[in-house]
Amino acid sequence: MSHLGSVANIALMATKTHRRKAVKKGLTYTIMIVGSSGLGKSTFVNTLCESNVFPKIDYSNAEKAALEKTVRVSPVSVDMEEDGIKLALTVIDTPGFGDNIDNKGAFTDILNFIEKQYDDVLAEECRIKRNPKFQDNRVHVLLYFIPPTGHSLREMDIEFMKKLGTRTNVIPVVAKSDTMTPSELQSFKKRVNEDIAHYQIPIYNFPVDEEEDDDEVIEENNELRNLLPFSIIGSEEEVIMNGRRVRCRQYPWGTVEVDNSRHCDFSKLRYMLLSSHLHELKEITHDFLYEQYRTERLSKGLEITPAEDIGDSPYSSVQNSGQNTPSAPASPVPVRN
Amino acid sequence: MTPSLSSAVGISNLPNQRHKIVSRKGTNFTIMVVGESGLGKTTFVNTLFSSLIRDYKKPEHRIQKQMDHTVQIDVVRADIEENGFKVRLTIVDTPGFGDFINNQDCWVPVVDFIDEQHFAHVKHEEKHDRNKKDDLRVHVCLYFIPATGHTLRPLDIEVMKQLSSRVNLIPVISKADTLTPLAMASFKDRIRDCIAYHNIQVYTPPINHDDTESAKITNDIMAAMPYSVLGSETDVQNAAGETVKGRQYLWGTVEVENEKHSDFVHLRNLIIRSHMSDLIESTEEIHYEKSRSLKLTQSGKTDDDPQVTAKKNLETLMKNEEESLRKKFTEQVRLEETRFRKWEQRLIAERDRLNKDLENQHKSVKALEEEVDELIAKKNASR
Repeated sequence: MSHLGSVANIALMATKTHRRKAVKKGLTYTIMIVGSSGLGKSTFVNTLCESNVFPKIDYSNAEKAALEKTVRVSPVSVDMEEDGIKLALTVIDTPGFGDNIDNKGAFTDILNFIEKQYDDVLAEECRIKRNPKFQDNRVHVLLYFIPPTGHSLREMDIEFMKKLGTRTNVIPVVAKSDTMTPSELQSFKKRVNEDIAHYQIPIYNFPVDEEEDDDEVIEENNELRNLLPFSIIGSEEEVIMNGRRVRCRQYPWGTVEVDNSRHCDFSKLRYMLLSSHLHELKEITHDFLYEQYRTERLSKGLEITPAEDIGDSPYSSVQNSGQNTPSAPASPVPVRN
Repeated sequence: MTPSLSSAVGISNLPNQRHKIVSRKGTNFTIMVVGESGLGKTTFVNTLFSSLIRDYKKPEHRIQKQMDHTVQIDVVRADIEENGFKVRLTIVDTPGFGDFINNQDCWVPVVDFIDEQHFAHVKHEEKHDRNKKDDLRVHVCLYFIPATGHTLRPLDIEVMKQLSSRVNLIPVISKADTLTPLAMASFKDRIRDCIAYHNIQVYTPPINHDDTESAKITNDIMAAMPYSVLGSETDVQNAAGETVKGRQYLWGTVEVENEKHSDFVHLRNLIIRSHMSDLIESTEEIHYEKSRSLKLTQSGKTDDDPQVTAKKNLETLMKNEEESLRKKFTEQVRLEETRFRKWEQRLIAERDRLNKDLENQHKSVKALEEEVDELIAKKNASR
């Protein structure tokens, strides 16, 4: 299992006082992956989970190529184990995003999905008798794949990250970063960061609390923040190099290694996502983003419909007495700011 | 049986004279590059001609750009010269194409531009004074496909369909160093399938079967379509220690002109070395003719000689006049008929009325007569 240099070290994690204890059942964790097709999302997930989570799609049908597709939200559960800790990971892929000529509808589908998970949790909270087996499907982190144009963010990237950044932790990543030389990558990252600052796009940027956190954590977070957006490469092929099995991409002019931190930021991203910042991302989702959503929703005065009906209490039956939003703009989503 | 001259008269020198004339005059050549931003179009053009034809976009201006969602047509001129031969090169770029969330109809300005150039040339030909004018007819259009490794997107298919009927279209896979050789080969296959399925007419150079060598070269060039390209203006050291144009990565060096790394060489041969004149000619003959006849039929002219057309026009005019006169006549007749009918009806009504009156009078007369008879009878009875 240890391809990686800096693998999740759970012992180290447990000693950090501000991290919670891992649940015996296995941590639930949901990652969503968004980006135009052809940016290596499925390959990335397969590389991350070290198994064939998303099988290769067959693109050989020429007729289907011209058809406009709708965005699908497809969650897949993967059970992983990192040094003894079980992880019930759910990875959500979004095929069809940004592939059409007119992509205006892509945002609402994904946003609706995320908000629905929040609605389910909200409804569950409001129950008199809660369901002990309730599954929390909230999206804890969203990886947004930026195409490696070498210029800066596109309109679609800016709009999407802005809209989704208020509902979930958005982490931008540069896809297929082996397209760019090191200097090109540096200037691209710089420009993306400038755009993010200029358009005030809310992303997860490894916030630190100067007083509360210890120096090690601050330093780690600063380092990770400087790497944003993470440059990644994905590969499912392995080659034996110097006696080791290495995941890489082989070109006629050289071989790019996925786990080599000089070639890309994949290993750092993996460590961050699945080990060091897992709890932090979950906390932020629950304590901050969910609370924000809850406040907005409840202040609009809408009644909550529970997803499943246990039938134990009279209040658990459906009561959606119509939407009385005072100034509802013409939009498919009932709750809108 | 064409007679051949026994001694050399000198007509075989004509191609040399032609060559001198042509090389003095130089030529116009217009390339259009179409594709989203960040696909390496500017770099490619600069690499193709080994000089800085186009400046790279300034990133500081990008924030103003995104406000208006229009596709612009950017024309850059350059005069380049090699061995005394001049080319007035024009590069047409399309910034904003495919860059927005909603890219519906983003190809319309591009297509309109191409058509406009043809139409403008037609108009120009009709003038008295046909001096040398700036001829912006697009000789070749390179469509840049992003190297996703999957297949063509709906936007690509739609735009290529629109372009292929109007201009020599060459599809190009940009940033060829994104895909491994195996992935690139299957990607190309899928693109070729798509192009065949959707009947997109890409540029095929004519094959001269007599000249086997050039036929072979042409076949090689054709087989590599769509061309995977790479652009670079920086010099790097390759494995053999030579200085070439390429890109330097941590894990290796990609060379632009290395055939194993990209199809740049094939494409350059196609556009410049072997088939530039064919591109120019085919634009002027085929596409120009197509749009010319289209334009002329739109403005009402046909292939006939003007007198014949005038006569035809007169005939149609006369026919129309006749038709209208006939219509008028029938109309009048109908009107009169209705008038008469109405009159008849009125007369009938009048007659009926009079008859009725007469009846009434009769009745009253009868009634009176009966009264008289009764009275007489009463008188007689009472005597």
